Amino acid sequence: MNVQTQIKRTAAEEALLAAFAERGTKLPGDAKVAERREEAVLLLQRGLPNRKVEAWHYTDLRRLLSAVPSFDAGGPAAPRAPLLEGSFVLPVLNGVATPPLAIDGVAVSKVADRLADGSLAPLLRLEGSDDTVSAINAAFAADGFVVDVPAGAEVAAPIELQNIQAGGQVHTRFAVTVGEGAKATFVERQAGEGDAFVSSVSHLQVEDDAEVLWLILQEQPEGANHLGRISLTMGKRAKVTLFVMNSGGKLVRQELRIVAEGEGSELRLRGVNLLAGDTHCDVTMVLDHAAPHTVSTETIRNVVTGRAEGAFQGQIRVARHAQKTDAKMACNTLLLSDEGGFSAKPELEIFADDVACGHGATVTEIEADHLFYLMARGIDEKTARGLLVKAFLAEVVEELENEQMVDALEARLNTWFAEHG
Amino acid sequence: MPAVQETIEQVRRIDVDQYKYGFETLIESDKAPKGLNEDIIRFISAKKGEPEWMTEWRLAAYRRWLTMEEPTWARVSYPKIDFQDIHYYAAPKGMTGPRSLDEVDPELLRTYEKLGIPLREQEILAGVRRSGEPSTLDGDGASDNVYQSGRVAVDAVFDSVSVVTTFKKELAKAGVIFCSISEAIREHPELVRKYLGSVVPPTDNFYATLNSAVFTDGSFVYVPKGVRCPMELSTYFRINERNTGQFERTLIIADEGAYVSYLEGCTAPQRDENQLHAAVVELIALDDAEIKYSTVQNWYPGDTEGKGGVYNFVTKRGDCRGRNSKISWTQVETGSAITWKYPSCLLRGDNSRGEFYSIAVSNGHQQIDSGTKMIHLGKNTSSRIISKGISAGRSNNTYRGQVSIHRKAENARNFTNCDSLLIGNDCGAHTVPYIEAKNSTAKVEHEATTSKISEDQKFYVMQRGIPEEEAIALIVNGFVKDVIQELPMEFAVEAQKLINISLEGSVG
Repeated sequence: MNVQTQIKRTAAEEALLAAFAERGTKLPGDAKVAERREEAVLLLQRGLPNRKVEAWHYTDLRRLLSAVPSFDAGGPAAPRAPLLEGSFVLPVLNGVATPPLAIDGVAVSKVADRLADGSLAPLLRLEGSDDTVSAINAAFAADGFVVDVPAGAEVAAPIELQNIQAGGQVHTRFAVTVGEGAKATFVERQAGEGDAFVSSVSHLQVEDDAEVLWLILQEQPEGANHLGRISLTMGKRAKVTLFVMNSGGKLVRQELRIVAEGEGSELRLRGVNLLAGDTHCDVTMVLDHAAPHTVSTETIRNVVTGRAEGAFQGQIRVARHAQKTDAKMACNTLLLSDEGGFSAKPELEIFADDVACGHGATVTEIEADHLFYLMARGIDEKTARGLLVKAFLAEVVEELENEQMVDALEARLNTWFAEHG
Repeated sequence: MPAVQETIEQVRRIDVDQYKYGFETLIESDKAPKGLNEDIIRFISAKKGEPEWMTEWRLAAYRRWLTMEEPTWARVSYPKIDFQDIHYYAAPKGMTGPRSLDEVDPELLRTYEKLGIPLREQEILAGVRRSGEPSTLDGDGASDNVYQSGRVAVDAVFDSVSVVTTFKKELAKAGVIFCSISEAIREHPELVRKYLGSVVPPTDNFYATLNSAVFTDGSFVYVPKGVRCPMELSTYFRINERNTGQFERTLIIADEGAYVSYLEGCTAPQRDENQLHAAVVELIALDDAEIKYSTVQNWYPGDTEGKGGVYNFVTKRGDCRGRNSKISWTQVETGSAITWKYPSCLLRGDNSRGEFYSIAVSNGHQQIDSGTKMIHLGKNTSSRIISKGISAGRSNNTYRGQVSIHRKAENARNFTNCDSLLIGNDCGAHTVPYIEAKNSTAKVEHEATTSKISEDQKFYVMQRGIPEEEAIALIVNGFVKDVIQELPMEFAVEAQKLINISLEGSVG
């Protein structure tokens, strides 16, 4: 009958709740923050989402997150050399932010302090019953950085936010505001060692006429479980390029929550997902076109080898008043292994009539004709395949205007191929 | 533009008359008492004179159904259905199954004539009443349609019973069995037992399970080995009685090398309350067989305020069981207050092919959540999905489809194209495809677009002296052309007209 039986909690669910019971009171934050944390735990008490929860259709977190480690990292973590030379580096090591660096005109503070005074409490709010990444993070978030780029400023060098751990459990927050007309480049670096359990939530508020390039580089070791989320809000005529590259981790969920709030704002989202071994990688995007004349393009390219499983869910919503929206999304996958798999769910949800929206999704093996073309010119099969896969991905990488960044990313593609190609 | 405004007004005035099949047949009927329990199921089973195994099959489904919950994942909203407030069986008095036409209540024959479905074979064959000739009955009766071409055998289902099946003898000559499912359970139990529930198991989903417990009538088709069915087969469903649900069950089997084309039509009277229609359709294609299934769904959609209309919760699934088999679904959805329907193909046999062509038009307060599933299991299987959604008024139209390439489905191929057209600013169009590939030799392509009729297109047509409303109809017809082409010819004409009627009054 329709009687809801008490859910039997999994080991991971038990461990998360036990950890909160033990640590909850010791985490930084005033009464308001504590209240938000309680709300988050309430959601966790209802259990982790399984595939019946639509937003988690391809990532059964309840099943896949089999255990969570203790908070003890087991060793020190060291900051990494920045991706782009000359960057300002702001590292969070084993969940603790290092003393903030002085950056010209840019205000940087520690999340721990801003939780203690309660000023970050509103950011810990959840966005619905399936917002599990935010919930896990909100319950345990202890540190990170708050960065404010003032109006009109043009930051001289990229700012690299690093979240590095040596193992254990880490829950980090970043909150970045880019003021009116300002320009800045950010690299969000997720890396470490060991079988860590990491959650990292970033907030990026881009004000009117500001321009931002934000690169997420997730290169966790193969034993780590990583739950990431970025929540991006764009003001009028704001221009944002969001680039996501996933090339590691065991269980990876990267959520991209974007609201084009200001009229005339433009988003360019590019993603490269390199999946090998036993990785399960899920990139889930929800994009709201909430104002007229907003433009967005999304291109996601995936390469699947080994026993890896990948998923992309991309939902574009167009509000009733968001007339003249132009949104185009493509998700292309090269499935190179019969043991791997890829699932795509590109969704359109449209309430305005004067729009041009489209999406495309493909899953294929390398085109035999292309391979033949190269091999007919005396290139051996392995090299030819490598060239074609690289060309498939480079197309997306090379769209970036920042040459230094293109070089750095292509170097990473090469390293990955050397290992998994 | 005053001229256009005038047209809109005109259309608004005739609004309610748009649904021309909304009349009611006043006929006495036998009904089971309201509500659902094991006794009702035994009652239905007894009425149909079913063997013991069938009754048990139904009861097992019912017991299972009690443990299930109504699905809520579709993008449709409606007040909770009280399943105890429905008559699960209603039949014109004295009717328990098809019989000779002389015994059928003339009121019923009149109904079908009004709907444009002639049931008297000799009349159809002799062309007694040619199209255009005034009907012997009053009122404007039948229009030209596929049913009068003389090339279609019809099984007419009225509420819970099949009234008559035409051309049975002629079909029997070719070895084709075409009868109501109740008759098949009695006459051909070996076939029914072998195939019933083998594509949509009784435990499949909430509505399919309910259907398995209480289904009342529907059609049964068996095309033997190597036979190409000599004419189009068709079932015409009519809900008439108040507070009833219609639970039809259709089972079509194409044996090795057989071919059959099947059409389904449906209408219901205009009423303020909602009516439930939960059907299950199972298709089975064996080696080298082909089944073509076309639907023009025109249940009463409710009035302009969104009051009344049919809830259409349907499970349709085809099983390409044999090698080189092919199943093709074509649907034109213009009716129903709520549609929840995903005609699917299980591509089990090597080299089998599934096709899905759909036009879904929603206007007023209609809600459509429809699409397909293509499950590739065999080698070299291919599928093609073309879906065209048109939303107008305050309606919501969702395409929800799944393409799944399983591990062993080598060289599977899929192409999907779903386009949505929005007319007006109070409606919504949504696309939710699920694409899953687990074999590297698979080739899956999906594309979707959403747009409105562009000013340029409209200007181009209107510039040539065509009024706005007609211009829109013309553009819409162009938009849906890919699908219309897949329909049998006479059906295509009807579908085109239907789309135009459905969109009337949506310009503004």
